[in-house]
Amino acid sequence: MAAAPSSRPFEYLESLPGTVFFKLYQQPSTALAIFRRMLPDLAKCFVMALLYLKDPLPAADLEVWVKSESLKERDNALSILGRLHILSNTVIANNVRAYMVTNPFAASLRHALTGAEQTQSFGVLAHPPNAAAVSIANLDDYARRQWEGVLGYMVGTSGLGIQRDVNLSKGVKQLLQAGHLVEIRGTRVDITKDGFAFVLQDVSTQVWHILILYVESAEAIGMDSVEVLSFVFLLSSLELGQSYEKRHLTANQLRTLADLADFGIVYQESPEAAHFYPTRLATTLTSDSSALSNPIAGSLAGNPTGDPSSSSAANKAGTGFIIIETNYRLYAYTSSPLQISLIALFTTLKYRFPNLITGKITRQSIRRAVEMGITADQIISYLSTHAHPQMRKHNTSRSTSNQAGIPQSILPPTVVDQIRLWQLERDRVQATAGFLFKDFVSLAEYEAPCRYAEEIGVLVWKSDRKRMFFVTRHEQVAAFLRSRK
Amino acid sequence: MNTIDATEHYSTSAHDRPPSLLTVILDTNPHAWAQLSSQSALPLSTAVANILVFLNAHLACNYANEVAVVASHTQKATWLYPVAAASPDSNQPPRDKDGDTPMPSHNRPPPPHEMNKYRPFRIVEEQVTQNLHRLLGGTTADDLSATTSTLMAGALTLALSHINRRTIAWAEAHGGETDPNAHANNTTTTSTNTAGGAAAASGGDKASTESGLQSRILILSVSSATGAAHQYIPIMNAIFACQRLQIPIDVCKLAGDAVFLQQAADATKGVYMALAEPRGLLQYLMMAFLPDQRSRRHLILPTRVDVDFRAACFCHRRVVDIGFVCSICLSIFCEPLEKGECLTCGSVLEMGDYGAKPAVVARKKKKKKVRGPGNGASATPTPTPTPGP
Repeated sequence: MAAAPSSRPFEYLESLPGTVFFKLYQQPSTALAIFRRMLPDLAKCFVMALLYLKDPLPAADLEVWVKSESLKERDNALSILGRLHILSNTVIANNVRAYMVTNPFAASLRHALTGAEQTQSFGVLAHPPNAAAVSIANLDDYARRQWEGVLGYMVGTSGLGIQRDVNLSKGVKQLLQAGHLVEIRGTRVDITKDGFAFVLQDVSTQVWHILILYVESAEAIGMDSVEVLSFVFLLSSLELGQSYEKRHLTANQLRTLADLADFGIVYQESPEAAHFYPTRLATTLTSDSSALSNPIAGSLAGNPTGDPSSSSAANKAGTGFIIIETNYRLYAYTSSPLQISLIALFTTLKYRFPNLITGKITRQSIRRAVEMGITADQIISYLSTHAHPQMRKHNTSRSTSNQAGIPQSILPPTVVDQIRLWQLERDRVQATAGFLFKDFVSLAEYEAPCRYAEEIGVLVWKSDRKRMFFVTRHEQVAAFLRSRK
Repeated sequence: MNTIDATEHYSTSAHDRPPSLLTVILDTNPHAWAQLSSQSALPLSTAVANILVFLNAHLACNYANEVAVVASHTQKATWLYPVAAASPDSNQPPRDKDGDTPMPSHNRPPPPHEMNKYRPFRIVEEQVTQNLHRLLGGTTADDLSATTSTLMAGALTLALSHINRRTIAWAEAHGGETDPNAHANNTTTTSTNTAGGAAAASGGDKASTESGLQSRILILSVSSATGAAHQYIPIMNAIFACQRLQIPIDVCKLAGDAVFLQQAADATKGVYMALAEPRGLLQYLMMAFLPDQRSRRHLILPTRVDVDFRAACFCHRRVVDIGFVCSICLSIFCEPLEKGECLTCGSVLEMGDYGAKPAVVARKKKKKKVRGPGNGASATPTPTPTPGP
């Protein structure tokens, strides 16, 4: 779904009860992070337009504002805002429906924009003696080592000779197990289907996945999930290369901090140190995946530049390292054992050079991957996330000749389609959990909610003849039905 | 089988939203602000505070969004943000060579109670207010008495060069990200590029206009344009550059009238708004000017229907309703040329029998009189031609 942003954290948030939102939105940093990360463009416009209005805006006015051909986007945006408890429906004089931004959120976002009085929502800078400051390069290096260590542990690259200087704490391993990313049998670590899906994602999605797992497990060990969650959002608003005071943090937050340090999300010289540094994994949490071409992703990809100290991150040209040709040959400029073992999951490798491996994507290799539980979509998104800059360039130069209407893809279309076909050979049934609406009396009664469901983007299937439709979420459709009665 | 071609895959990359760069050109003409604050109780300080909130809102929309602020002052156009961190001192000399305006403020550490603000917001805020203070502090009475207009052309050029630089840098860093949404623009871009030649000089990167950094310019104008007629040519050149690079120029008009800025917004498909109630500046900004190009596709935005297309003549810089146009280079003149020689390209032009009474007046006049009031007063629908160098 185009408008649904990064589904995993969104789904988690959505499942929370309204009271949790009330508590979460007390913090300006949380309001800012959710605004930035979870909302589609149009929803952001709505929120900003309503933010400084004193009175609720009549729904009709808001609807007039949007072009008639963009109804779908509008309803989708309003629906997401409603689900996150950001926008509320009220009724003003003359029974006119109106929208307004709900209060703790509005106040917090305003505070975030204008600066607030004494809250420590955006962290408190520490001023360590200059000599003690940790450089950005070191932070990147630390984050990369830790994160690669976690992934390496999951994929089991120890046999491939990865350096074992990363000591994963027990908590990390337990968390991975609790999230069903790995299964531990005795001393052996087996990666699960979910785990395969996980390692093929891009870094920011992975970090979010881990963080959500962490928040979920926090409740189990007696921490307040709201506190942990708002701390995560706080981390996302800190600045890279700065150190922050720890003494303002609560006990639970300190505990979270120590746990996140194991993942490389934050750095502290020692557990007793008075300040901590957020790493790039933390500070880019609220960015879209397009901002992922940062040194972390680059060095995680085993970029042979090997010099993350080049402080100008912007000058680094892209981060991809995989070239794939229309004849299914794959070239990957990497020497990282982790990346090689990831590519080997769905490729038949042929040669290995000091900085390059070559291989071929074949029917067998894809089938093998699919049997392990990897989906074609995961493979394709992995390949396009790590596509070499050369492929991106090639693609843009070619795009002018493309017919309008067909979106362009970085990968050769033949390869993309073939990977999907190979997967389809195996699994032909896809399950979607959801709700069936049926037994409509008249066609008109059926059509309106059906169209509404389509507009808010929850419709999966419909049959005009049988007057049935199937949706992934039912609350709003039900509310819609009620409002019509 | 149908599922293979389904758009599932493509839509996964659709939330790769390219960031946008917002360049605000703030008209800091002291004459106009003095007038405005006396009329409608919107002093510059309040306006700047509103603009800062607006800038923060723009930054809040996307992690990678950028802002830039240019001041268009009476005697110079200058950067308010970003200013290179090391160079505030090196930028100083031209401003205070008289040496009597010491500006000790820019080095002082921020007071601790302001700590609680998202860092990027605070940096923008500090730099803008600081540089604005310095700019206004460095303005002498002599500077003000010299002119009453504002250097809009210079500010536009600064903004354009910054946008160009950032676009190239972004494209280099990201190797031409793909954005399927922008795909529809392809054909138009190529055609204008071939026609335009050097104008789209952004490293041959067509991608930059369609999938790279999305840039736009917002002009907050308070001065009236009558004084700006002498900048007609550079302003129009900047507008055409924007048109070619698909950079919308939004105009937020707080006071005065702006002939050329209406054309700017119209030609670049930007938003033009003359504020009826300047004290509501923030709400106007948030509602009409915050949506970026992607959101604008879905929104109905305020535009102006009756655009003032008048041009300024090349000989006296007067704004003219009806003028004389050189048929070779399309230069505009307000009166018949001496010797019939075009001042721009030097072509010798025949005036024909201008001013002489046509022989067949009687019949035509009757016909014209019927239609006359309908289209006589309205501005000519033809767009202004490209002015020469």
